[in-house]
Amino acid sequence: MSATGKLQPEPYETARAFCITSAFWMVVATFMGLLGATELIAPDIVRIGWLHFGRIRPVHVNLVLFGFVTPGLLGAVFYFVPRLLRTELYSERLGLVTAGFWNIALVAAVSTLLAGATQGREYAEMIWPVDLLVVMVFILVFINLIMTVARRREPLLYVSVWYACAAIALTGATYVLGNVVWVPDTGSLVGIPDAILLWFYGHNIFGLLLTPLSLGVAYYVIPKACRNPLYSHTLSLVGFWSLFVVYTHIGTHHLLQVPVPTWLKVISIVDSIGMVIPVMVVLINLWYTAQGRLGEIHADVGAKFVFTGTIMYFFASIQGSMMALPQVQRVTHFNNWVVGHAHIGVLAFSGMIALGGLYFVLPRIAGRPLHSRLLADLQYWLVLLGSAGFAVVLTIVGLIQGQAWLNGETVYRVLPSLYPYYVLRASLGAILFSSAVIGFYNVFRTLYGQRGAAA
Amino acid sequence: MYFPYFATYMIVGLGLALLVAGWALHNGQFGDQQRARFLPLAGDPPATDAPALTRRGRLEVYGLALVVAIGLAGTVAVLAFALLSG
Ligand code: HEM
Repeated sequence: MSATGKLQPEPYETARAFCITSAFWMVVATFMGLLGATELIAPDIVRIGWLHFGRIRPVHVNLVLFGFVTPGLLGAVFYFVPRLLRTELYSERLGLVTAGFWNIALVAAVSTLLAGATQGREYAEMIWPVDLLVVMVFILVFINLIMTVARRREPLLYVSVWYACAAIALTGATYVLGNVVWVPDTGSLVGIPDAILLWFYGHNIFGLLLTPLSLGVAYYVIPKACRNPLYSHTLSLVGFWSLFVVYTHIGTHHLLQVPVPTWLKVISIVDSIGMVIPVMVVLINLWYTAQGRLGEIHADVGAKFVFTGTIMYFFASIQGSMMALPQVQRVTHFNNWVVGHAHIGVLAFSGMIALGGLYFVLPRIAGRPLHSRLLADLQYWLVLLGSAGFAVVLTIVGLIQGQAWLNGETVYRVLPSLYPYYVLRASLGAILFSSAVIGFYNVFRTLYGQRGAAA
Repeated sequence: MYFPYFATYMIVGLGLALLVAGWALHNGQFGDQQRARFLPLAGDPPATDAPALTRRGRLEVYGLALVVAIGLAGTVAVLAFALLSG
């Protein structure tokens, strides 16, 4: 609170609230992941019904998406949108209320999912009342952003502002649709149309929420850290519009083995390959901006996270385009290869950029240096090790499973050969959980520690 | 029969997107792209010569390049395998 009035929130209070939200839920989300990975090695280790793998998994996934990554990215968004528009956030108070409801929604999601109340559709497991809370917070965030845009003093909208506003508006809309909120009991349609709708929504969570928010953060942090203007703003707008034209069509590539109409599969495959265009447009633009200035990137731990995230974006996307080919999916579908891809996308790309955005804005919103640059560096290496390790281990497991399936091998006979990799996977989970604890401590001390305690 | 609903959604979505694009065009959002490149830098001191990459920094870059190379090599190998194994 400011010195002038107890009830007047300080500038960037909303950004701070989202940063600490992200850091806290990262700890819980990675713990759930670690617990799930441990249960895959030792299924009987926890004999408590509500901590069974089937309940832990959706909690882990939803917390990573809505607890760790999205709030982390929003922490940066609530900092850079007003700055880019040369104005103040429309309402810090509304922002704080939003962050409060966001956390209430997360607590509600965790408790209902652990209690076994689920709608059983991937990424849309949360039950109706929680869905309504989620939609509400997206509407509140959108109101705050769009009103800030309306009150801007800078006439031009920088590409990061476009990305942030579009991500929130589109996700609010597809969330309602994908969770079929007009059917509260089941939250689903019936039959194949439900599968199509679910994967339209499921892919949009990555394509229309995590990707645009992450790219918006990268487009802000990289020029700023390099102190270099963006290589081309025109190119960035081409990337922006083409992302939405192409990404919205590709959800059905999750359903290539399902009796959905062939024309829809063809569109999804063609556009998955077409994704190379928006992806490379963005990366060429960002990498040219940073060209010759890696020293500046290295000097700022936030920028380092973000830059690494862009490399992982390249990776996840090129891999994704190939995974949409039916010939490749014969081996990679329905096994841990896809889980590997998911971790490259959500953790190594979006998660890295969320952490980068958070660390980049943290000293600016806290008005003091990071509590410990060393701990932030340590977290960087742990996250890199964990996510690269996941990519390798899960890919190997996926290949073993995919080949076994193709050869008609019985599942239980394959399990022993997977075991060592599952142990490795749980160890990597432990690394990521430790990194989250370190991160939470560092963020907390930076925001709320005693002034002048920088290390 | 859900397709009429899907089609309606797509038409509304396309309409809204065109509307926003039209607004952007009229509002001059696609003009003055040179200035737009500098927007994140507003209020920052002008760029000095970039600091040279430290030894540790260089090692980190090599480390990252290695991660990328291993990943790409693995991906290419799987693609080749999937396509060649018929
Ligand atoms: C050009 C971009 C991309 C393409 C074409 C693509 C393609 C694909 C395909 C084909 C699948 C389904 C694989 C299967 O079930 O066999 C998939 C799954 C997945 N993708 Fe991507 N991907 C891309 C980028 C990303 C990014 C950037 C993220 C994260 C931010 C991401 C997150 C995921 C996740 C989480 C899954 C797992 C879904 C599940 O639970 O089954 N993808 N992707």
